[in-house]
Amino acid sequence: MSAGPVLTVDTYSLAYGTSAGAFQALRDVSLALQGGEVLGLVGESGSGKTSLAHAIMRGLPPNVGREDGRILLGREDLASLSQARMTNIRGRRLGMVFQDPSTSLNPTMTLGTQIIEVLTRHRGLDRQAAQRESVAMLERVGLKTPAAMMHRYPHEVSGGEKQRVVIAAAFACQPEVLLFDEPTTALDVITARQILDLFRDLQSETGVASLYISHDLALVSTIADRVAVIHQGRIVEQDPAERIFSAPQDAYTKRLISAVPRPDRRLVDDEASSTGSTLLSGQDLTVRYGRPSLLDFLNKDRAKRVTGAQSVSFDLAQGEILGIVGESGSGKSTIAKALVGLNPFTGTIGFGSSKLTGRRDMDAAYRRAVQIIFQHPDSSLNPRQTVGTIIARPLRRYGLDREAPVAETVAGLLRDVQLPEDYARRYPHQLSGGEKQRVAIARAFASKPQIVICDEITSSLDVSVQASIIQLLLALRARHGTAYLFITHDLNLVRQIAHRIVVMYRGDVVETATVASLARQPEHAYTKALLDAVPVPVG
Amino acid sequence: MPETIRRLLHTPQGAIGSVIVVIVLLAAIFGPWLAPDNPETFNYGNRFEGPSGQFLFGTDQFGRDLFSRILHGAQSTVLMAIFATVIGTGIGAVIGTGSAYLGGRFDELVMRLVDAVMAIPNLLFALLIVTALGASGVNALVAIGIAFAPGMARIARSVALTVREQDYVKAAIARGESAGYIILREMLPNVIAPIVVEMTIRVAFAIMLLATLSFLGLGAQPPSSEWGLMVSEARSYMFRNAWMMIWPGVCIAVVAIGFNLLGDGLRDALNPKT
Repeated sequence: MSAGPVLTVDTYSLAYGTSAGAFQALRDVSLALQGGEVLGLVGESGSGKTSLAHAIMRGLPPNVGREDGRILLGREDLASLSQARMTNIRGRRLGMVFQDPSTSLNPTMTLGTQIIEVLTRHRGLDRQAAQRESVAMLERVGLKTPAAMMHRYPHEVSGGEKQRVVIAAAFACQPEVLLFDEPTTALDVITARQILDLFRDLQSETGVASLYISHDLALVSTIADRVAVIHQGRIVEQDPAERIFSAPQDAYTKRLISAVPRPDRRLVDDEASSTGSTLLSGQDLTVRYGRPSLLDFLNKDRAKRVTGAQSVSFDLAQGEILGIVGESGSGKSTIAKALVGLNPFTGTIGFGSSKLTGRRDMDAAYRRAVQIIFQHPDSSLNPRQTVGTIIARPLRRYGLDREAPVAETVAGLLRDVQLPEDYARRYPHQLSGGEKQRVAIARAFASKPQIVICDEITSSLDVSVQASIIQLLLALRARHGTAYLFITHDLNLVRQIAHRIVVMYRGDVVETATVASLARQPEHAYTKALLDAVPVPVG
Repeated sequence: MPETIRRLLHTPQGAIGSVIVVIVLLAAIFGPWLAPDNPETFNYGNRFEGPSGQFLFGTDQFGRDLFSRILHGAQSTVLMAIFATVIGTGIGAVIGTGSAYLGGRFDELVMRLVDAVMAIPNLLFALLIVTALGASGVNALVAIGIAFAPGMARIARSVALTVREQDYVKAAIARGESAGYIILREMLPNVIAPIVVEMTIRVAFAIMLLATLSFLGLGAQPPSSEWGLMVSEARSYMFRNAWMMIWPGVCIAVVAIGFNLLGDGLRDALNPKT
């Protein structure tokens, strides 16, 4: 192997031409990737990390304004190559694994056909050799029945299996450099961990140089040799992985690191009021989805119901933060929706002294006391209404507009969530993601609720925004004594703030424990696996 | 909004459509003041004349000025057509959005009814209603409105189904809002964009449908100068003065094309991805 770096990005700048003028996506980016090295590239959304990946792959969108600098693969400048030459390099010398495996595989071709195509094209194998090699490669990436896998279509396998196939195809070409663009972000925690382990094995075995792009600093610090932090198109810091957490240099990196949730740093210091009376409880809550259609009904065929959550029981005390964790499909959001009357349920919800056995029992007082904040602020605010209208609606709905002028209350709520008062006149699309989520929080707190259900409210936000939203929620709780039902898949985050944690798996509650005892000795095997799978910041 | 208008005027069909529609609307609104002559004044000395300096478009069998008649007729044709479309769209949008929101059995029932109504061609359905209500301009308008409602309901429903899944609708349900509030205030404003596009295109159909009804004697009644009626009256004198038929025919065609182009332009302008 030659001594120089395999991939060099040399003072590279990139600007997009947009209708609002040129947008500088990357500024003077310089990176060098040595043979056998894993370089982590960490940045928040809009930082330019994906643009850099596309620039290296020469897959830039057509609205590129101007490019400066060089991107060298070995000694060749990729930016100056023709499309035809580049097509030869892509896949063979330069591979890429994308975020979402379900869109990077062709749904109309079997997995086998897709890998064989890659091998015959890039390694010049004949069909039989390619077939043998493919099966071997699928076996290598830990798929249990590789021969059978070859004949399956993408929709017949799970997300984790698809990503394994994509990784198999990328490594099978024995490229010089592999780019990974958030390869585990679309996967569940435990699956993501398995994919990471696989990546680490294959990487150390083949010694291929890898550029690993992610927003997750904790994750990158566990797998990369060096970490580069990118912010607004600039590389602000490059450090060995173990140094980035212990001794960050740049101000932005420091801010980013302090925002990364660490389970050992509690943000809530009071103990759950164990003496506090139970505010909200669920007994044997079961949610089933699906409704037999008219034709099924005539057909006497009505057994096709999916169970979203099965006999879930929990209780929430005054001012308590109860975390609910689980992977996607575990039923945690299903329960949240049942509690606010969006899903039909069987079982009993206890609220104060009243017992609710169905959606019809939810009166205005209950709905006012129990508020929900959704995951995606883009979709939870009506794009045709101003922020003022959105926040004022609960006030009017619950008759709180008679107590004080609506405009003043709205202004006060906006101040509470640290937004300028004149935002009341804006529309949601004029706000950033974090600001939108603040508006959603203001709307939830407008009716002075006792319980707020937070359904993955930070998972679509950047880590620094997430930290400020969490701070805000805790400040509001300190002022109003609100109890939170905090639903998330981020175990690190929930361990920072929750008093007790409910672990759900495939619609069942498998464990309910205080944070301390959960970390010390998890009882259920699934909890243990979950705790092991979460990457904890290194250093 | 200015951004949408700018994009609309950048496409050729949008620009041409906008120009035609603006001219037609101006003619429809200010026509009676612009007309050089009374549309119902008889000039027996100048019957069946071709275009000339005195009569810009010529005259009809009673020597009435065709240009003035066309300008007056714009009101009863174009404005009535727009009004009919607005009625149909309004009813259809509320039914479609409501059906999507309520879902379940209600949705199925409403949509099967819509299917049944849509199986009857628009013109036949409008004829049926006019026959039941009696022949007049207003009844023709109502008939066209009702005939258009099912189609609009379907379009509104398909858009509303995706809006229904948005979290702001769920937030409203969780807040305990009434169905009426959710349908009218939360969902309808977000369904409106594709409906406006469809509406513009439908105006063209409404004009032709209205003209057809008048032609058949079931819409506007003489001495109205509704364009369809003008064509119908001109039929008997086609060989003595073809202009009598050509002018209203051309006007109907131009207006229909104008609204169609505007609709196409709007569709592209409101959907930046295409």
